[in-house]
Amino acid sequence: MGDRDISVYLRPLLRTTWKAYALLAVALAGACWYFYGAFIYQFFHGHRVTGQGTHGAMWGTIVANIVQLIGVSHVGIAISATVRILQLKRYQQLARIAEFVTLVSLTAAVCNIAGDVGRPDRFLYNVVMHGNFTAPFVWSATVITNYLVGSCVYLYLAMRRDIYLCSRVLTRRRWLYRALALGYSDTPEERENLERTVWWCAVIILPIMVSVHSVYGWVFGLQPGRPGWFNPFQAPYFVLGAIVTGFSGVVAVVAIIRRIYRWEQFFPNRLFKGLGVFLGFVTLLYLYFLFSEVLTGLYASPEAERGVFHDLLFGRFSWIAWTATVGGMIVPFWVLFVQGANPKIQSMKIVVVGAVPIFFAMWGWRYLITVPSFFHPHIPYKLAEYSPTLFDWSLVLATYCFAIFFYTALVKLLPILELPEHFVPARPVRPPRIRLATMRGLGFFKRATISFTLASGIGLIAYGIHSRFDVLTPAPAIWISGIVCLWTIPLQVCLIPGFPSRRHMLAHRARQEPALLRPPRPLVTAVGLAERSSSPAIESWVDRHQRAHRGIRRRARMRVWA
Amino acid sequence: MQKWGMVIDLDRCAGCQTCTVACRTENNVPFCGDGNAWKGRAIFWNKVITVRIESHGSQREGEPSASPGTNNHAGPRLRFLPMPCMHCERPPCVLVCPVRATTKSVDGIVMQVPSRCIGCRLCQASCPYSRRYFNWQEVDYPGTLKEAVNPDVSIRTLGVIEKCTLCVHRLQKAREQARDENREIREDEYVPACVEACPAKARTFGDLNNPDHAVAKLARSPRAFRLLEELGTFPQVSYLHESTWKSESRKSVGAEDEEEIDG
Ligand code: SF4
Ligand code: SF4
Repeated sequence: MGDRDISVYLRPLLRTTWKAYALLAVALAGACWYFYGAFIYQFFHGHRVTGQGTHGAMWGTIVANIVQLIGVSHVGIAISATVRILQLKRYQQLARIAEFVTLVSLTAAVCNIAGDVGRPDRFLYNVVMHGNFTAPFVWSATVITNYLVGSCVYLYLAMRRDIYLCSRVLTRRRWLYRALALGYSDTPEERENLERTVWWCAVIILPIMVSVHSVYGWVFGLQPGRPGWFNPFQAPYFVLGAIVTGFSGVVAVVAIIRRIYRWEQFFPNRLFKGLGVFLGFVTLLYLYFLFSEVLTGLYASPEAERGVFHDLLFGRFSWIAWTATVGGMIVPFWVLFVQGANPKIQSMKIVVVGAVPIFFAMWGWRYLITVPSFFHPHIPYKLAEYSPTLFDWSLVLATYCFAIFFYTALVKLLPILELPEHFVPARPVRPPRIRLATMRGLGFFKRATISFTLASGIGLIAYGIHSRFDVLTPAPAIWISGIVCLWTIPLQVCLIPGFPSRRHMLAHRARQEPALLRPPRPLVTAVGLAERSSSPAIESWVDRHQRAHRGIRRRARMRVWA
Repeated sequence: MQKWGMVIDLDRCAGCQTCTVACRTENNVPFCGDGNAWKGRAIFWNKVITVRIESHGSQREGEPSASPGTNNHAGPRLRFLPMPCMHCERPPCVLVCPVRATTKSVDGIVMQVPSRCIGCRLCQASCPYSRRYFNWQEVDYPGTLKEAVNPDVSIRTLGVIEKCTLCVHRLQKAREQARDENREIREDEYVPACVEACPAKARTFGDLNNPDHAVAKLARSPRAFRLLEELGTFPQVSYLHESTWKSESRKSVGAEDEEEIDG
């Protein structure tokens, strides 16, 4: 990515065409419809405006959509964390795009959940204040909060240097970036500190991400009352489904972004081919899981179970199942396979042609996980057919409008590519000069607050879990605050200045002590540090000190010669 | 402590739906109107469903034959199955409710607190007997029914779940009466509306923990069975019947008349 011009990286922030505004406007209109439809119209008219019913589908398209969106959210952080932990340089520029996808789809999913419950007015308060420890829904509220807060912290920290650079090089909205950079000044210590923290965040967030989708599997898989759901396999199955969905979604998003901003150099066809190979592989794995599930359901299973799977394959849902499986999985798999196996083909288009049907097929399968079970209850009631109304579909569509609006806004406000290390602003922010004693004080303060946060976070979680059966204690509120508390630790690590570093001491001493009394060794170390470091940014920083030292050294040498 | 339970004798049930109507009036169960009934949104805390039983296949090889006179005719037969909430001893609905809007009380009643419910319908999805009803639409009491609303039972709002509570308001009344008079509650003081109304005396209600009570004796009778026992929910409502009803009912197809009742 030998592009040395920073404006290439910041293209979305520099110029906004009328097309972008038009897209934003349309998407905003859709988003408004979602909020009006789900929270005002539906609230006053009841859920009868959807196609659902008690003896029929009590959950419908919106629940399928929730599962789909949670799945999409899964992969953003997965890609970014994997790229960071395994240092996959080639996929580095994918990271932020994917993280934004996570943020957006998770928010959209939460909006969908809030719109699907009958009483959105009580929903958050009651779940947090009266939450029941045994309910998968409360687990999901916990893990989603955890994931949302965690991915925001992670996203912010990973983006902090780029925001800082924006505040130095961009002329528009400088105040925003300056405010967001929160005093970052790109000194070598700061950068190293940031990188280390982000790496640890990546390590921590991976299992959390798995937990989110597992919980969604358990929402279904722990219900013996519904044939077709009760299944120990459900959690890993959902996680795999999430990876497939999310990957296909991310491929589409990256393709669109590359197309709009002409970023072929960052997202070459080779990269798409890599993504395609992986997507093909997980799709195949999903097909295998699917086959195993259907076989178990059809073979000699309990009768109600068999009814569900029979209905799925040969009954009223068969057209969705077969279209999704053949048209949306098997054929795309072969498309991706042919490209992956043939060293001569490298094309973004082929991968997109494979990925988009997979995305829709996964939506179809989410629907098929949710709805058919309701049509085979254990007790033979008369059932009403489920046909999603126009309103149902409009909500689903509007959710994606909301997602597109949110995503476009993010792309237009924040740097979406990682700026490479060699970009250093012409006039870097001078790190504030803090007195050595103050710095020591701050160092102690930092240690104290971090330990205090750690202790109180763990304490709150433990207390919340301990008092889980106490009706009068808002247990989930307590453990969720504990989790949020713990997520401030990475922020504290990066935002509060710590003990003075060796370099600080040096600089300080160079200012304080008369030049002649300077012991020669630390000087050599400082110069040596600068020489050894190959990074131009670090050089540029140390430069100034070095120049100062060189002057001192020359004078000292002259004295020796004299 | 008591454990309230019910036994329903299927051989006595005439399918007259008196219990259904009694339950509706007692508990202010709202009407949903035509347009919603055919979407499966009618609310019935208690309901007699009609089940068609294919008599072939009811006896499998090696199974002891059922009592004489029940299984010998060919062709399908209809059976009436009154369905209140089973008040399971291990209710899956209570486990999954995220806000404790449904709880198991100390005397064994699975309670529902509509003012706490957020309407997520997880309990509805988890109930193997489908005994929970969501308020898909605004409550409606057509005609003079508005004046017949029972002041002891609160009216539910839009977007929450409701279900059979074994007429718990009657229990509260009886209990208060007993406390006033400084004595224990007598068993015949508390009977749900459906039990009271049944003209065929098919329903027996009482304390399952009291071994001398008729309900406990009936629940132990060899004719007794409980629905979907294999799921391990341990319903506190049992049924009495002279045949291997359980295995037959699986083969059945529902044939119901919601619209007519609900009109
Ligand atoms: S029958 Fe259904 S609603 Fe009633 S206690 Fe059992 S699971 Fe809950
Ligand atoms: S619908 Fe109401 S009672 Fe049922 S699980 Fe949700 S909050 Fe609990």
